[in-house]
Amino acid sequence: MLSIQVIADVWDRHLITMRTIEHLHMFSIALILSIIIGVSVGVFIYMKPKTANPVLNFLNIVETIPDLALIVLLLPILKLGAGPTIAACVLYSILPIARNTYTGLKSVDEQYTYVAQAIGLSPREALMKVRIPMSLPLIAGGIRIALVFCMGVVTLGGLVAAGGLGTVLQNGIQLYQKDAILVAGLWTGLLAVLLDGFAGMIEKKLHERYGTW
Amino acid sequence: MQTERLFDRIESIQFKGITKKYGEGFAVKELDLEIIGGELLILIGPSGSGKTTTLRMINRMIEQDEGSVTINGIDTKDADPVRLRRNIGYVIQNIGLFPHMTIRENIGLVPKIEKQNKKDIEERVKTLLDFVSLPPEMFMNRYPKQLSGGQQQRVGLARAMAMDPPLFLMDEPFGALDPILRKQLQKEFLKIKNEINRTIVFVTHDIEEALVLGDRIAIMDQGELVQVGPPEELIFNPANELVADIVDNQRKFKHMDTLKVKDLMSPFEDKYVLEAKMEACDAVDEMTDRDLETAFVFEGDELLGQVEIVDLMKCRDRGEKLSELAKPIKTFQPMDSVAFALSEMKNSGEYLAIVMNSKHPVGILVSDEVLLKLI
Repeated sequence: MLSIQVIADVWDRHLITMRTIEHLHMFSIALILSIIIGVSVGVFIYMKPKTANPVLNFLNIVETIPDLALIVLLLPILKLGAGPTIAACVLYSILPIARNTYTGLKSVDEQYTYVAQAIGLSPREALMKVRIPMSLPLIAGGIRIALVFCMGVVTLGGLVAAGGLGTVLQNGIQLYQKDAILVAGLWTGLLAVLLDGFAGMIEKKLHERYGTW
Repeated sequence: MQTERLFDRIESIQFKGITKKYGEGFAVKELDLEIIGGELLILIGPSGSGKTTTLRMINRMIEQDEGSVTINGIDTKDADPVRLRRNIGYVIQNIGLFPHMTIRENIGLVPKIEKQNKKDIEERVKTLLDFVSLPPEMFMNRYPKQLSGGQQQRVGLARAMAMDPPLFLMDEPFGALDPILRKQLQKEFLKIKNEINRTIVFVTHDIEEALVLGDRIAIMDQGELVQVGPPEELIFNPANELVADIVDNQRKFKHMDTLKVKDLMSPFEDKYVLEAKMEACDAVDEMTDRDLETAFVFEGDELLGQVEIVDLMKCRDRGEKLSELAKPIKTFQPMDSVAFALSEMKNSGEYLAIVMNSKHPVGILVSDEVLLKLI
């Protein structure tokens, strides 16, 4: 089966260290963009409640497009490379983050906003200092879902020359190298599990810190 | 960034022709009321009487439909609401502290937003915690859920004082506490009130609280002001049946001479009991858990005396036993007369006494300032 020798061999031949760095690079850019856009959309639809349903419905439709189809649809606009992959990640991740941000903000007891304003915070300060911090556990939950999505989508990027671990898998399939498929597949899976575990830890910490009222 | 203060002291607050509608009904109807600078005015009445609405119109958390509220002659409608509220301390019952902030952050929130110097905020927080009898080093970095209800209420008061406002609005601040604890905090609040000497508007539904704390009491019913005056006036010259009912619902003022200790005492509960061999530090935690300000120390069946959490917190780390710290406490029989018991307590300066039925504690008697005044 897989001896250390084989793994080391595959690792070197397929430049897996470099591919991992590419992979995580795309993944982090996508996740950071998703968080910025997702949280902003969540806060926006919270402040303008009339927009909440249309926006969430639209994002739901985006969510139903199969990921491979979405990447291919983005190809003519963003060309080959990392662009379509990152864009697809972001499009998928906005929904869970925006939805959780919106739900989190809504579920904070009105009384806290009331008190915040009564002691002299402006509506904006009440949002920044009280409502958003108190929603952090739920927002983190949304980010964690997005993280899992993104790991999957980034791996698909190998199909459109985005680089990353998907490329190794792709090459393995093309050249019918079982060892390469196995090593790259296991390694990608392990990375996803590790990152998810890490995110879970952060989520738990936030729950302890902000979520115990 | 620091907002300029709207007023440094309160000359008067005037409500003129205030009306607030809710749908078809009136929350407040054509209210005229003057609050005099430096007094503690109580707003009291049945639920739906408009007392809370009236309070909240002072800091514009509710806006009136008609009429004007002026503070020192300035119409509140002309003041920026955020600036106005930073000049008014606000205390609410129960849920007032932010659960995701430490006590230090809760108290220092508005000073921090006002970009005050970090060191000054730290000093201010410490001073205020000391002021409300919470040792700063013990409490600064705790979260609200790690505090008892009574302690949280003290922090709420400290937070209201953070910007040193000349006016305080208090919305049933002791409403969620059990009766004995409420009496203790009232007594302490009275001390604080005399020390800070500010104008306070205080909403409550507890007439005893109103009579103890209020310089003047405004009785409201169905959105209208029924009578306003000092406690004695309301007791002896009630404007109508409703006022008489509210002010003296147990008719205890009328029948004071025949009132017995058992009529006035609160029932004794096991949670008030601490063992003599317990150490002071453990007792502090235990009392925080049980939400007690005062506990009674027993050795077996024998009552040794009382301990107050405020004192126990001072003597932390010395490993003293409660038996050494318990202060003596008076005991009465259920059939003793209230007049006798209260004047005894007044003479020794105590405000709590235990009611014993032969050997067993059956109740706790809290001194009643209003009754005392009348005796």
